[in-house]
Formats: sequence, C-alpha cells, structure tokens
Amino acid sequence: MLGFTAFWLLSAPRPLPASAIPAHNGNIANGEILYTAGGCRNCHKPNAEPAGLDPNLPSGGFPLKTPIGVLYPPNLTPDIQTGIGNWSDLDFVNAVQRGISKSGQHLIPAFPYTSYAAMPVEDVLDIKAYLMSLPPVASPGREADLPIAFLLRRGLGLWKFLGLDTTPWQPDGSQTATWNRGSYLVNGPGHCGECHTPRNLIMARDNSRFMMGGPHPEGQGKVPSLHGLIETGRYKDQKDLVLALQNGEVFGYENMSSGGMGQVQANMAKLPQADVEAIAEYLISLK
Amino acid sequence: MLSRNLFKSIAAGAIVLGMGFSLAYAAADDQIKARQAEMKANGKAIGALAAIMKGEAPYDAAAVKASLDAMTAADAAAAEAKAWDASSMEGATVETWAKPEIWAEGSDIGAKYQAWVDARAALAATTDEAGFKAAFPALGAACQSCHESFRRPKG
Repeated sequence: MLGFTAFWLLSAPRPLPASAIPAHNGNIANGEILYTAGGCRNCHKPNAEPAGLDPNLPSGGFPLKTPIGVLYPPNLTPDIQTGIGNWSDLDFVNAVQRGISKSGQHLIPAFPYTSYAAMPVEDVLDIKAYLMSLPPVASPGREADLPIAFLLRRGLGLWKFLGLDTTPWQPDGSQTATWNRGSYLVNGPGHCGECHTPRNLIMARDNSRFMMGGPHPEGQGKVPSLHGLIETGRYKDQKDLVLALQNGEVFGYENMSSGGMGQVQANMAKLPQADVEAIAEYLISLK
Repeated sequence: MLSRNLFKSIAAGAIVLGMGFSLAYAAADDQIKARQAEMKANGKAIGALAAIMKGEAPYDAAAVKASLDAMTAADAAAAEAKAWDASSMEGATVETWAKPEIWAEGSDIGAKYQAWVDARAALAATTDEAGFKAAFPALGAACQSCHESFRRPKG
C-alpha cells in the first residue's frame, strides 16, 4: 500500500502553471513552418477509413504502431467536440511540451514532446495559432490499444524523471546564426533525435550517443548515424545534402524513403530554402 | 527391427530431403542477390541521370539512353532470376531489406513496378534537355514510392 502510494505520488503529472504562458499574438506563418518541420501531419493524419477525410488535414486517427501497442493520434483541427477547438494555450503547451493531455493523463512519448520541450513557448503557441486557422474536421478520437494502459500511462510519470529533459534549447555563441537555426530545427520541432539517437533500456534517448543511429524504433531495420556525413563520403558537401533533403530518392539519393524518412524528406522539401541549408549546415558539423 | 531395404529407403529419402533443403537455401540466396544486383544497377543508372538533372553533367541524349538501357537490362535479368518471387524469402541465409509486405494480399507492388516502367518509357521518349528535365522526376519518384512502402531501413 505504501509502495503504491509512493508510486502514485511520484508519478503524478507535473503540468506547467498558467503563469508559464506569456501574452502572445500567434504568428500563423511561423507556426506553419514549424508544423512542417515538426511533421505533425505525418502522425496526426486521418485513417483511410472512414473515407472522405482530407489527408492533408491533421484530423487524427491514423494507427501508429509502436513497440508497446497501437496508438491513435488525436484530432488537431479546431473542431470543438473532437479536436482542439476549446483547448486553451496552457492545455496545448502542456500536451506538446510536457506530455500531459487536457484530461491530465500522461501521453505516450511516441508523441515527441521530449524534443518539443526544448522549444520556446512562443513557437509552440505559433503552431497552435496555425492549427486554429485550419478548417475544423469532425473526427472523434480513439483509445490507444495498450496493455495495462492505466498503469503504463501513470508509470510514465516516473519515466519522465529520466526520459523528459525540459532544458530549453540554447544557441551556441561560437557558431553562426544559420548553424544555430539548423540546430534549433533539428533538436526542437524536427525531433530528428527521436529516431536517429539510439535508446536505452527504458526507451529513453541515450544522449551520450546523440544522432549515432541504431535499431529503428519501429522495430524493423536500422537508422543511420548522422555523424561524419561528409567525412564518410555519404554526401559531397553541404549543397549535396541540401539537394538530398529537398529531393530525396527522386534525385537518386539513397536511403531517403524507408522507415518513415520519406515523409520527413517530403516535409524538408516544403521548408524555406534557408532553413534546409541551415539544417544541412548543422548536420554536417556533427563529426 | 528394420529390414535392410527399409533402412536404405529411409536413408535415401533423408539424403534427398537434405539435398532439397540445401538447394532451396541456395535458390533463395541467389534470388536475393539477383534482386540486390538489380537495385545496385538501377541506383548507378539513376545517379548518372541525376547528375544531368542537377547540372553536374551536361545533357547528353546518348547518356540518357545508356542509363535507361541499363535499367531495362537490370529489370530483365532480375525477372529471369526470379528475383521477385515470394520463394526468395524462404530459407535464405543472405540478409535482405525487402519487406514481406511485398507479397502480402492487397500489396500494390504491381502498380508501383508499372509506374517505374512507365517513367522509363516516358523518359526514353524525350528528345531534348527540357523534355528530359520535365520527365525525370517521375523516375526517381517511382523508386521512392516502392522503397517507402517495401524497403526495410538499412541504416
């Protein structure tokens, strides 16, 4: 009984307070760029059934197979009943940056709040502003297929002590502004490390092996290391990597489609030129 | 208490079965290697075309034809080696990055293969640089579409 009480208390969600949300006019244009870099639609897209839902809108429901069960990402359109239409800024930030749902439950970290936590709150609010500008789609959510869901979700409260680093992203003063932009996009919204950094026994990212690749988190195949991209001859130079990110296998660049990378590359193609160059500048600096 | 003949029959049967298994192992490995050889040839061919697209090599109709011919040859060689038969996944000892979903019911690999064939034909029909640049993206897109669904990430 004592053990359970301790578990219960230690694993309690620790949401941000209202004071953490600044007064901010959402910048929809910036929100759209970050939404694209964040790849939100790739998980929050609708399922093929029921037919008729616009695949370009994040109305949710697409089954996401994870090692612990099948998840159904929720509806991010501003529908009042089934989407985020009546979510406050605080609700949204707690979900995106602390992995706590509006109803106060821990979210499975297949939702990469473990990367989004590093973003400045204003950028997260810009993403919300962009989402609120989308047409509302009525698409009810679906419970995740998880074993012992109640205990698993609550247990995440303990996991978060080790697996959720809420340190904000900081620029490196010794690097260029463009390198820092690339670093922010990769470490924050891009959440590249969620696949490209291997995980430890409790499935938290092993930051001592940052971006060094390893087994694919979906369970099949491997994710490449992003270190020494030029030194190992994978790309000729920054321009080559930029073309690879923007065009992928359409230009014959290898390994840009499997394991979910195709969707990432498609998003890269939509980012502003300067942002793709910044991402490439940052990545090629990883030795 | 086995009779001599029965014992001989069982032994012969075991030897034939064993040979059959080892032949099956070898066959699947050869099919996988043929498939991988086809992919390698395709990659090399599209690399040459991509260089023209990116402006790293000058447009040359003969070079375009050579690359497309290489893909046609690779396609034919793989077909002859039964590289894309489901049997290639049975009893293999060589690693493959093809996903079993290729042969699952409802798989659209046929359509994806056809998209590649069509893209090659469309590119072969072009006669100048403008035509080439308009038709080229569909070729790589065909590679991409199949890999996205049916290739295990190699790392």
